[in-house]
Amino acid sequence: MTGQGSDGGPLTRAAGLLLNRRTLIAGAAAGAAFGLRPRRADAVVSIDVTQGNIQPIPIALPDFVGGGGNDSDVGRNVTQVITANLKRSGLFAPIDQAAYLERVSNIDALPRFPDWRAINAQALVTGRITRQGDGRLKSEFRLWDVASAEQLTGAQYFTSPDIWRRVAHIISDAIYQRLTGDSGYFDSRVVFVDESGPKEQRVKRLALMDQDGANVRILTRGSDLVLTPRFSPSTQEITYMSFVNGQPRVYLLNTETNQREVVGNFPNMSFSPRFSPDGQRVIMSLQEGSNSNLFVLDLRSKQQVQLTSGPAIDTAPSYSPDGARICFESDRGGSQQIYVMSANGQGAKRISFGDGRYSTPVWSPRGDIIAFTKLGGGSFAIGIMKPDGSGERILTEGFHNEGPTFAPNGRVLMFFRDPGGKGGPSLYTVDITGRNEQRVPTPGFASDPAWSPLLAST
Amino acid sequence: MKLPEMKTGLTISAVIHLALLLWGLISFAAKPLEAKPNDALPVDIISDKQFSEITKGVKDGAKEKPPAPLAEKVAPPTKIEEIKPKVTEKKELDAAKADNQPPPPAEEPKPKAEATKLEKKEPPKIDPIAETLKKEETKKKAEEKAKAKAAQQLAKQPHFDPSKIAALLDKREPMRQASAADQLNQTPSLGKSDGNAAQLSQSEIDALRRRLGECWNPPPGAANGGQLKVVLRVLFKPDATVATPPQLVAATASPFGPAMAESAKRAILTCQPFTMLRADHYQQWKDIEITFDPREMFGG
Repeated sequence: MTGQGSDGGPLTRAAGLLLNRRTLIAGAAAGAAFGLRPRRADAVVSIDVTQGNIQPIPIALPDFVGGGGNDSDVGRNVTQVITANLKRSGLFAPIDQAAYLERVSNIDALPRFPDWRAINAQALVTGRITRQGDGRLKSEFRLWDVASAEQLTGAQYFTSPDIWRRVAHIISDAIYQRLTGDSGYFDSRVVFVDESGPKEQRVKRLALMDQDGANVRILTRGSDLVLTPRFSPSTQEITYMSFVNGQPRVYLLNTETNQREVVGNFPNMSFSPRFSPDGQRVIMSLQEGSNSNLFVLDLRSKQQVQLTSGPAIDTAPSYSPDGARICFESDRGGSQQIYVMSANGQGAKRISFGDGRYSTPVWSPRGDIIAFTKLGGGSFAIGIMKPDGSGERILTEGFHNEGPTFAPNGRVLMFFRDPGGKGGPSLYTVDITGRNEQRVPTPGFASDPAWSPLLAST
Repeated sequence: MKLPEMKTGLTISAVIHLALLLWGLISFAAKPLEAKPNDALPVDIISDKQFSEITKGVKDGAKEKPPAPLAEKVAPPTKIEEIKPKVTEKKELDAAKADNQPPPPAEEPKPKAEATKLEKKEPPKIDPIAETLKKEETKKKAEEKAKAKAAQQLAKQPHFDPSKIAALLDKREPMRQASAADQLNQTPSLGKSDGNAAQLSQSEIDALRRRLGECWNPPPGAANGGQLKVVLRVLFKPDATVATPPQLVAATASPFGPAMAESAKRAILTCQPFTMLRADHYQQWKDIEITFDPREMFGG
């Protein structure tokens, strides 16, 4: 403790040392206290928002202005079609035009956003229709975000005047896509079987209409029974089954050219074939005795390849959108269930395991779900599940719900429901979340719907 | 090398050590420590968001009484003294009500006649205003005079006399004002919710989070979009409105990304002003990074 040498007595030395140590300790304590002093956090505060509300987006759609003459009539019709489309999708809540504060007359000027904010609109669509000198129709629109006061998207289209409905559907698709992130489905058509007459003597004719029920076109005369039309996913062609003289025959119909050709006489066919994703082949089930197997037929070369064999009934096949896999219905396990196999027929695996019998599986164009009909407990139900069989969910139940078909964006399903009794079947759409079930207006009774791909993509 | 001596010493030491160790081993043998049976305490781990929600309450619930101060005895009812003369309390400028003041004789017929005609109300009123103002002035002067007198009296107090301390003692009953109230309350309260705190409180953050959750409308397609996260940075003005448009800091690459980012931006812009953020904590919340993650909503 006591050091050697150095000037001063031991007392002063000790005192010096002590002082040094004390000062050391004091200094250290002061330093620590200084380091621990409460500091204002200059860092940015971060918070997590993990809950929200799924609600339809409030959107304002004032009538499209007309460039001149009766263009404003066309403008009003276009706006009505767009409003109906968006409302029917269940994801938008168009605001009543009576509530609008600003009258839009020039779509090239900025709208008065405070007026639109006052009625709680989150999005605003303005547009203009002008008939050109050469007879074409020029349609323009702008989609505005009211909260941030900027334009989100806009486009103009030059078309012939009689397809103004298609222009409205294309604009609806653009709005839908910009605000929800999903591609739209409004510019598409549905082929179905139009039924008329008394129940014992139903006249069934093939019909084609826009997805909103407009522009209905009857394709066959009704003298022969027609069944299960199917749309090609990449071309504007339909296959359907027709019984000529009691013999089932598969026809291929091109909806644009109206040309019809016979794919083949298949005496042993029960269901209409479905197209492969490229539209060049069809897959179908053919019956042999008491069992039924899947075959692939090339439409051009008419070559047939057998995919399944065995004593079971394999039917209702559907391709995945990438063409690599096929889902189908089979009773090889004892009851009707859904199986998935690769496109060459290998590796069939069962994916449905619930209570009941599963049938008519359809693969979504997005490839993420398979829709099916389930029969159990005395009622039919339309449901969806993931391609590995998980996530099964029933969307709608009823006495006779059947034949699901997907919209081109894979978000909406159309099916037909037969209430039984004196009435007849009708077409319904439902969102894949099970919400927003809506009836599709048809001229008479309707069944067996099939949804086309987006017209613009073919 | 004195080995023999060392040897004896060594052996004695070794023997004693061994003896000690053996004794230690035996005497400190393993007696299992008895654990007294504890009462199991139910413990619930909750997040601070849940904690705030416990105290959230319902909009139409009974209003909570403010925390009562400690009261050890019931205070005698205090008489409400009227310090000022009655007249000045009534500051209404309606001349008809100033009964105590002798209204100027010229005013009397006018106020009585003005019952139906509004225009005539205006001129008579101005005069009563002046009247009451004048009266207030005179009263103020009187009060000041009284105060001056009292001060003078205090100043006239005699110098401190130690022998007369007893006389100077306050003879009133000892009564701490702070601990006497109308009702007895033995438990002192915890303080008030608007007491000063330097940091942005957790309940403010939760209130902000909840408000944003109410306004946020994520695109429904995001459910199947997988891991979709959007981070926006927002700068606020002191009145809790947004200073600049929210900037996108990060977002997962996905076809739903732009729609998600826009829905988040929309939520922030339509939800302003955020009144739950307290002005005295402005330095804490002027710059906030908000992460919108819909996973919980879609059961992810």
